[in-house]
Amino acid sequence: MSRARGADADGDASDPLIAVDDVEVHFEKEQGLFGLFDEPDVVQAVDGVSVDIGENDVLALVGESGCGKTTLGKTIIGLQEPTEGSISYRGRDIWETKAGNTDLSFDDIRSSLQIIHQDPGSSLNPNRRIVETLSEPIRLTHPNVSAGERRTRIYSLLERVGMTPAEDFASRYPHQLSGGEKQRVALARALLMNPDVILADEAISALDVSLRVEMMDLMLDLQEEFNTSFVFISHDLSNARYFAAHGDGRIGVMYLGNLVEVGPPDRLISDPQHPYTEVLRWATPNLALDASEAADPPMRKIDIPDPVNPPSGCRFHTRCPEARAVCKQEQPALRALGDDHRAACFRTDSDHRYWESDPIED
Amino acid sequence: MTTTSDRLHRAGDGVSDPILEVKNASVTYDDGDTYVLDDVTFSIERNEILGVVGESGSGKSMLASALLDAIPAPGHLSGEVLYHPDPDTTVDVLEFSDAELNEFRWAEVSMVFQGAMSSFNPTMKVGAHFEDTLKAHDRSVPEGLEFAREILSDLYLDPDRVLDSYPHELSGGMQQRALIALSLLLEPEVLVMDEPTAALDLLMQRSILLLLEDIKEKYDVTMVFITHDLPLVASLADRMAVMYAFELVEAGPRDQLINDSSHPYTRALLNSTPNIDAPLEDMRPIPGKSPAPVNVPAGCSYADRCPLATETCRESDPAFEPVEAGHTVACHHWERAAEAIELTFGEAAAVGGDAEGDPQ
Repeated sequence: MSRARGADADGDASDPLIAVDDVEVHFEKEQGLFGLFDEPDVVQAVDGVSVDIGENDVLALVGESGCGKTTLGKTIIGLQEPTEGSISYRGRDIWETKAGNTDLSFDDIRSSLQIIHQDPGSSLNPNRRIVETLSEPIRLTHPNVSAGERRTRIYSLLERVGMTPAEDFASRYPHQLSGGEKQRVALARALLMNPDVILADEAISALDVSLRVEMMDLMLDLQEEFNTSFVFISHDLSNARYFAAHGDGRIGVMYLGNLVEVGPPDRLISDPQHPYTEVLRWATPNLALDASEAADPPMRKIDIPDPVNPPSGCRFHTRCPEARAVCKQEQPALRALGDDHRAACFRTDSDHRYWESDPIED
Repeated sequence: MTTTSDRLHRAGDGVSDPILEVKNASVTYDDGDTYVLDDVTFSIERNEILGVVGESGSGKSMLASALLDAIPAPGHLSGEVLYHPDPDTTVDVLEFSDAELNEFRWAEVSMVFQGAMSSFNPTMKVGAHFEDTLKAHDRSVPEGLEFAREILSDLYLDPDRVLDSYPHELSGGMQQRALIALSLLLEPEVLVMDEPTAALDLLMQRSILLLLEDIKEKYDVTMVFITHDLPLVASLADRMAVMYAFELVEAGPRDQLINDSSHPYTRALLNSTPNIDAPLEDMRPIPGKSPAPVNVPAGCSYADRCPLATETCRESDPAFEPVEAGHTVACHHWERAAEAIELTFGEAAAVGGDAEGDPQ
């Protein structure tokens, strides 16, 4: 295992907040009784991803269902153990810390890395009032804080996320809140721990289109105020652009477990370098009607291939309109293009033998 | 059998050959205390794609159910729903017997709901759903299945694989496409879709929308597409209607409704949408909340959130007024909406910003 990196055990100030180094997450598919003695199918959810997250940073992950963005997000905040590679928090390997091999306690890391789920309805206990849901984490982490102090803290946070009067909202049950309000409670719960990173996993996708900007603005205000970094997962490029641009961060495009393009939102959207980013851009509805009528999708197939058996070479070659023979054989690596912009496509290299290769015929 | 009010109405909304007409439809619960659809009147042109847009809880799903007289009990539907199988025939949907209604749903007007996973029976293969539907409507199963295969291939699905799979063996996008194929099985005249793509990622949503356009051409079907996602349906619809607080507030041809919308709510909704090309600083949420179905304000229900609201708005409910041919709006101050609320995207932003910059 390459994970044990003893030299890093203590970390120093120059270490990024979170460093993801060549991470791979593979799941074994459950087998039925008859398949007991067969090799289990392995789902390659995340493969060979390296990315850093700094203080007060935003990384927006985009991609279609099943591309591994949620798995990568959960790996970043230490909820999912990678099968290969390492994740470190301020220079300490998270999973080594859990095993007790560094100077930090795992509980500290755990409370510094928080999550907001997609469905606010099912992430709140329906039988508990909001105030009880929010008291629990404080009671667990700060057993000496009095009930009165807890209440004050909860009310001020609820007010901070725009739920006034706080006393009224705190005494409600989740079913008495709208979807947007539930999501605010989830955000307040994450903020209770003064986290360094919040993973917002499709946190606004279940909200009405008209409420999304409001919720994103709230998260961005809090990013500044609490100095929190966000990993923002979305399948919608325009939401990712809004969030990453305002949060002064980057967009990362994922396809079948690989990070295929990372860059500042304006560069990535105005000048996409990976054909898959182009596809996502095409898929994003546009109110400028001429642009939205732009005919056929820039891809050859609608359905994403099975991650149990991903295509050889560049994983996008089965759908890519630009694919050539070499794309079937070789997997392109992420290549720096300047300004913090990286893409994994042979086409970014004008000297690559891709240009002499034959186009793929379906 | 055209009455005066009919003609007036037709002149307003630009529909000359309606396939479905809804007149003064209201849905009430609690013995009339709670309105979840409030006096809605509109028509659907034969062979068009109508996009109906509204936020959660604006009554748009009730509108869809009303078209099929399928309001969940104990809701009560009043008003008229008229169906014209051809331009000279009129049938009243609300007068149907149970047997007639059964035939009307699926064979004349069929519906696709949000969340294919809950529409399919998880213990039955997808193919069995097609067979059951054919049998329930006394159609020939082999012929029907042949047709099903054709639609499935049109939707870029492998018919053998899909028909022989259990629902959970298909991806969300495949399930949703299989459900659309099932809804087209009896060759309906009208397909009503309520958030048909909501649980899917954007790429699949856009792909399905493209396929729907092809399906509409090939099978001559009229489509009603109901969603909260305005930019999504804007890429597909011929005409659009906007709902707010259980009422229709604006309807018109797609381009006019997007680029020249006249209701302050429509304009605010357009500006609140994250758009890939719009300047970031111009995207704004709509302040305030939509009203609950009880105690709907006496006048215009948007008045509390509207920057143009005056005493008139709070006192009297605005009637529909024609903006131009086919484009109608229910607002007392629609003439001032364009200059008061500038649109922040595309060409409209440029035009609105230059020409109407000076405030009154």
